[in-house]
Amino acid sequence: MAHHKKNRNVGIIGIGQTKHSSHREDVNQPELIHEAVRLALQDANLTMKDIDCVVHGNMELFEMVHQPDLWHVLGTGAYGKDCIRITTGGTVGATLSCASDNLAASGMYDIVMAIGFEKLQEGHTTGGITNMADPLWFRKIQAGALTGSSAYDVEREFGLERANRASLTYRIIMDKHACLNPNAHRAFGLEFSQIDDLIRTSPKLVGELKLIEMCSQSDGACCVIFACEQKAKELARTPVWIRDHITVHREETFNIFGYDRKVPVIKTHKFAAEQLFGRNGIKDPLNYFDVFEMYDPATWWAIDWLRDFFALHGDEHLKLVENKEIMIGGRMPINPSGGVIGSNPIGATALIRVAEAALQVRGNAGPHQIPTPVKHALASGFGGTMWTVMTMLEKELNW
Amino acid sequence: MAKEQVAGFEDSYEVEGKMALPYTYFAGRVGSKFITTIRDQQKIMGVKCPACNTVYLPPRQVCDKDFTDIRDNWVELNNTGTVTTFTVVRYDDRHLPRPAPYVLALIQLDGAGTPFMHIVEECKIEDVKIGMKVEAVFAKETTNTILDIDHFKPAPEKISIHALNTARKQWNPADEPATNEKRKGGKPDMATPVIIAAALTGAATMKNQNPSVPYTPEEFAEEAWKCWQAGAAMVHVHAREDGGMATHDHGRIKATHDAIKDRCPELIVNLSSAVGMGKTAEQRISQIVAIKPEMASLNTNTMNFGIVERKTGKIFIDYVFENTFTMLQDFSRAMEENGVKPEIECYDMGGLDNTLLIARQGIFSDPMNFNFVWGVAGGQAFRAESFIAMMNALPPRANFTTCGVGTDEFPCIMQSCLLGGHMRVGLEDNIRMPDGRLARGSYELVEVAVSIASALGRPVATATEARLIMGMKPR
Repeated sequence: MAHHKKNRNVGIIGIGQTKHSSHREDVNQPELIHEAVRLALQDANLTMKDIDCVVHGNMELFEMVHQPDLWHVLGTGAYGKDCIRITTGGTVGATLSCASDNLAASGMYDIVMAIGFEKLQEGHTTGGITNMADPLWFRKIQAGALTGSSAYDVEREFGLERANRASLTYRIIMDKHACLNPNAHRAFGLEFSQIDDLIRTSPKLVGELKLIEMCSQSDGACCVIFACEQKAKELARTPVWIRDHITVHREETFNIFGYDRKVPVIKTHKFAAEQLFGRNGIKDPLNYFDVFEMYDPATWWAIDWLRDFFALHGDEHLKLVENKEIMIGGRMPINPSGGVIGSNPIGATALIRVAEAALQVRGNAGPHQIPTPVKHALASGFGGTMWTVMTMLEKELNW
Repeated sequence: MAKEQVAGFEDSYEVEGKMALPYTYFAGRVGSKFITTIRDQQKIMGVKCPACNTVYLPPRQVCDKDFTDIRDNWVELNNTGTVTTFTVVRYDDRHLPRPAPYVLALIQLDGAGTPFMHIVEECKIEDVKIGMKVEAVFAKETTNTILDIDHFKPAPEKISIHALNTARKQWNPADEPATNEKRKGGKPDMATPVIIAAALTGAATMKNQNPSVPYTPEEFAEEAWKCWQAGAAMVHVHAREDGGMATHDHGRIKATHDAIKDRCPELIVNLSSAVGMGKTAEQRISQIVAIKPEMASLNTNTMNFGIVERKTGKIFIDYVFENTFTMLQDFSRAMEENGVKPEIECYDMGGLDNTLLIARQGIFSDPMNFNFVWGVAGGQAFRAESFIAMMNALPPRANFTTCGVGTDEFPCIMQSCLLGGHMRVGLEDNIRMPDGRLARGSYELVEVAVSIASALGRPVATATEARLIMGMKPR
C-alpha cells in the first residue's frame, strides 16, 4: 500500500481530557467540550489564536443534533477559523487524529486541534445505531456493538471455563488500571478473587457476554493539538511523533447478512496490523511496542483481538491475559488508562486512545504511567461498520 | 410497510420508515439559570463579555470570539426588542410549536448584542416588519424551555421624550416672571417644564438590594444614559469603589463623573457633597472643588441619619450627619466660587431656615434651588401640608424639587409636580416600582416620573431648559 509520502513530520504537543462520567448535567455540549479544549491549550501553553484549524468529531446524531460542529463553536473556539467535521462511527476519534496529522503534514496548517466528544446521556444511542443497516432485513436486530458471537468463538476454541476466566481476568485488569486513572468513568475496585462470583452473577446479554464485560456509556471530551515538525520542536519540550497510521474497513461483512464461520466478521484488525507493521519493517510488534492503547468495547473482543493485532498463534493471546502480562508492569501493558471498558464517550474514545498512548510516551500520564520507559506506542480505533484505525507513536524522530 | 406502486415502477416498491426517538438534553448551569429566571422571575438575563462588551442572549459560558469565561457575568435585559429578521412557517408538522402559518423571528432584545429566535404573534403576519418593536409575553405554564417566554407581541412604539421635547416650544427665562406671578396667588404653573433628576446610587444602596445599582464608572455611564433616554435632565451621583463602598477618592469620582459626561454630554451631573458616612468636611468638599460639577448637593443641618426598621422601630445604624453652620457657609461659598450650583437639601423646615439665615451673607446666586427630602430616619416624613409650608417659606425666584425615601417617593414627587416643582427619583431613594417589584434601574423610576408629568400635562425639561430654570450657565 502506498504510504510514507508525508510532506513533513507531525507531533502531538497538547492533550486535554475531561473527567469521564455517566452524568454531566452541569454543562451542555459546547461547555463540556470547552473543558477539554482549555486543558489542551494549557498543556500546550497556547491560546486559541495559535490554532489554525479545528477538526471536530462525534457519533452522527447520537445527541440528536445535526451539524453539531456549528453549535459547538461556542466551546471549541473555532470562531472564524477553518473547521472540519468528521464522523466515521466508533473510529471517529482515531480518524480525527489521522486527519489532523494529514492536515498538518500536508503543509496546509501548522497547528491543528482535534476535538472528540460525546454526551451519551443525552442522545439515543440505540436509535442512532439501529438505523445504520439495510431496513429491508430487520435492522432492529442489530442493536449496537454487541459481541456475543465473539464470546461464542472463544468459548468454542478454548472451552467455556478457560474462556470465561480469561475474559474476566481482562475485565479486572482494566478495572485496576481505571482505578489509577483519575479521568476514568468506571473504576469499581474489583479483585481477581471475584472472578467466579462475577461469572455467576453478572447479567448475561447475549450468550456468555455479560454486562460487566461491556464498555461504559460516558459523557466526556478529549482534545489533542498537533503541530508540524518545526512548530512542535519550537513549542513543546517533548512532542510525541506520529510515525504512521492506517485505516481499513469492510462493510459487507456486517452481521446483518448472517454469520458465516468460514468468513469471520472481524478481520480488519489483522489486515490493518499486517499492513502497518509490514510497511514499517516491524517484524515482532509484541517486542517492538512498549504500550498499546486498544479500543476494547468488550472483554471478549479485547482478548480475541490481541491475537489479530500482534499476529499471535494458538493460545498465546490468552496466555498474555492469564499471566497478567497486559497489566501495568507486564510485558505488553494494554490500556493503562482503563480502556474503553473504563470510559466510553464514543466520539472521544478513539482519540483518547491516541492521547493516552502519547501521554505514556511523554512519561507524564499520571498515576497510571507505566514504570518502564516508553519509546514506541500503539493506539487502535474500532467502529461499525467494521473499521480499524491504527496509529503508531514514537518518542524519537529516528525511524 | 409497502406503499402502492407508482406507474412505471410496478416491479419495485418503497419502504416507509419512521423515527420517534426520545432523547435528553442537558441545559448546563448557564442555560438552566437563563430558563429558571424567566420561569420564576419573568426576567430575561444575558451574559456580558468584559473583554469585548458583547452581551450574549441566549447566554453562554464562554465568549466564542475571545474565549473569555463569562458564565458569572449576568446582566438583566429588557423585555422589549427589535425584530432583526423573520420567516413565515407555512406548513404544519408535529414538532412545530404552532399551527401554520406563524412567524418565527430573530429578535434582538434592547441591551443585547445578539438576536435569538422566537415566535411573533398577536398581529397580522403581513404587519410583521424588520425593525419592528416587540415585547415578551411570558407563558402561564412552564415547559422549562425557551417557550417559558410564550411569544413576542408588537410593542407600542414608545415616543421618545426627546422627540416630544423637540416638537414643543422651549422654555426660556422670559417665561419666569409669569411663573412667579402665578405662584403669588398660590396657583402652580403647569407650563414650566418639570426637571427630572435621577439619583443613581446614594451611599448606602447596594447591589444585593437591587442589582442595577452602579458601582463602576462604566455602570454609572450606562445607567445615566438609560435615565437620560427616559427623560432625566440630571443625575445625582455618589461614586463607589468596585466593591460598592462609597468613596471620596478624587480619581474615582472624576472617572465616574467623566464616564457619564462622555456617554451623555448633555446631562447635568450633580455630585454629592455628603459622599458617605464618616467622611470629613475636607473629604466632602475638596472633591467638589477639584471636579467642579455643574451642581452639587448642599446639606443644611446636623441631624440623625440612621437606618431604622420602619415596622418595628428597631435601630440598625445610629449615625449623626454633621452639617454645622460653618460647614454650610464654607461649602456654599466653595461651590458658588467654583461655579457649582448648590442643590440645597432640606430634611425639615429647620434646614431651610438655616439656609435662609446663612444666605444673608449674600453667598448664594439667584435662583436658589431647594430639594425637600422626605422619609430619612432623622428627617421628617412626607406630609402634604408640610410640603406646602416649606414651599411657601421659599425666597422669591427659588426653585424646588423633592425626593422621598422608600414609599414616600411617589406621593412626594407627584405633589411637587402638581405644585409646579420638580422631581427626583432613583435607586438612592427607593429601589422599587409603585407595584412593589424591584425597579430594573433608576431609569424605570424616571419613567414613572415622566408618566406623572404627562398625566398632569406638564412638559419634561430638557437639560438645556433645566440649566436655564436652575440658573446655571448654558453649556
